[in-house]
Amino acid sequence: MASDTILETKDLTKRLGGKKVVDGVNLAIGRGDIYGFLGPNGAGKTTTIRMLLGLAKPTDGSIRVFGKDIRKERIAILRKVGSLVEYPSYYGHLTAVENLEAIRRLLGVPKARIDEVLSIVRLTKDANRAVKGFSLGMKQRLGIATALLGDPELLVLDEPTNGLDPAGIQEIRELIKSLPGKSGVTILISSHLLSEVEQMATRVGIISKGKLIYEDSIQRLRDQAKGRIRLSVSEPEAAWRTLLSHGHSVGWENGVLTASQTDNRTVAGIVAQLVKADYEVYRVEEESASLESIFLEMTGTEGSL
Amino acid sequence: MWRMMRSEWIKIRRSVIWLLVLVSPLIAALFGLFAANKEGDFPWIEALSLMSVLHAMLFLPLLTGVYASLLCRYEHAGGGWKSMLASPVSRTQVYVVKFILVMLMLAVTQLLLFAALLLVGFAHGFNGPIPWRELTTSFAGGWVACLPLAALQLFASVALQSFAAPLAINVVLTLPNILVANSARFGPYDPWTQPMLAMLPRTQGQDYGAFNISMETLLIVVLGSFCLFFAAGWTYFAKKAV
Ligand SMILES: Nc1ncnc2c1ncn2[C@@H]1O[C@H](COP(=O)(O)OP(=O)(O)OP(=O)(O)O)[C@@H](O)[C@H]1O
Ligand SMILES: [Mg+2]
Repeated sequence: MASDTILETKDLTKRLGGKKVVDGVNLAIGRGDIYGFLGPNGAGKTTTIRMLLGLAKPTDGSIRVFGKDIRKERIAILRKVGSLVEYPSYYGHLTAVENLEAIRRLLGVPKARIDEVLSIVRLTKDANRAVKGFSLGMKQRLGIATALLGDPELLVLDEPTNGLDPAGIQEIRELIKSLPGKSGVTILISSHLLSEVEQMATRVGIISKGKLIYEDSIQRLRDQAKGRIRLSVSEPEAAWRTLLSHGHSVGWENGVLTASQTDNRTVAGIVAQLVKADYEVYRVEEESASLESIFLEMTGTEGSL
Repeated sequence: MWRMMRSEWIKIRRSVIWLLVLVSPLIAALFGLFAANKEGDFPWIEALSLMSVLHAMLFLPLLTGVYASLLCRYEHAGGGWKSMLASPVSRTQVYVVKFILVMLMLAVTQLLLFAALLLVGFAHGFNGPIPWRELTTSFAGGWVACLPLAALQLFASVALQSFAAPLAINVVLTLPNILVANSARFGPYDPWTQPMLAMLPRTQGQDYGAFNISMETLLIVVLGSFCLFFAAGWTYFAKKAV
């Protein structure tokens, strides 16, 4: 592993109720990554994140954060990690400032940090209101403020946009996108929607039924989503054979030719070949697959909302 | 540890817990004001018996459970365990600090009751010197005797999400006091009876039931069950998945 790996799991496994809820997961997150941790409901995201934070113990496998083993140096690790797991934690009878102060005293960071994080999540106006009167979105933002309080090197956010309206989602997204630039923080953010992290993530890991089924840069995923070219021609089967014999990789289904390589040169080459062999070309269409449909295909549609 | 205490202080500073602290001392003060015998040979000791019987038999064990439940309630309700345990603190520290707080609340309760007794005494103008030694032994003893109860109730409160369940356990364990205390066979070994045995003065007339059990037995039962309950709760909390 590169020396700049911030978080690394090896064969991470958690058995709950006789079932492997997390099954042999190998994550690798580098410094400065915004890592989108994706999976449908019940895939094991929260369970994985709990283990990363030492809130639950793995059944098997190991976790290293900042190069340290979580079992041995949990406290040293957590000093540099901020987190929001599943639902924001809060004390309803306290104000936003008091909530932050309770955690600040554990972290031992300067008092001024409270005002800073409140203004980052734009709660300054409501700082002295009891949190039990907060809307879900405000609690969510308070949760993010709590996660940011210790000026963490690694920020772990489990579905931070849960329950937010579109404007709130957009706001959190902008906020998260702006963080690494400002402070060089590494972010792990989970979601059940690819579209939600697509615009900010640099890497994605996709987990389904406890297994990590994909881990790569967002760019590679985008490349996969490029789609393909469909060609309707006269005598498709004969045309297909001709193209194959000339070294073009094309498919043939339902009377239509398809090419998965979609760069201009390949397409021009195929069309030229067809015209040269006297086939009539009726249509050349691009069929694009969305990222979301690739995601659904990978994770299986059931269970995805 | 100190950081944890300061953090906890923020949370309980404005909690209903402070109202509960007043309940038992107020009731005892009323008892004392209206029912104390001013003329006896040992007015202070008699007032102590009078004022602490209900307190030691019922309120003290029940309050132990209520304090433990209240100190865990806001952690369960808002996901506080999660944010606390994802902070750079050890679980042992968290658990020990919660336990210390239960015992501190009990100490405040005992001190207020002590103050109530002194006020009643002055109000009635008891004659004779204040028997500091006996009174202090009684209040401190009642407090020490709460150690195992606090340990078990903290265990229950940490383990059970609901606010009422640990309290129900507590009531079930406390109510038999009324019977058990008078039993020479069971009284000495029931931790829930110990606060009463420790607090009530051992005057001549009371050598029935469990009241004449030696200090050593009390200590062994109290410390023994405390160690057992505390170790169980602490082990549970150290492994608990949150
Ligand atoms: N305590 C438990 N006992 C048994 N099974 C559990 C327990 N906790 C979680 N599970 C199961 O583990 C699986 C993964 O749950 P997890 O909360 O990690 O999913 P998730 O990916 O976070 O889903 P979501 O998107 O809904 O938050 C689910 O099938 C759930 O039913
Ligand atoms: Mg989840």
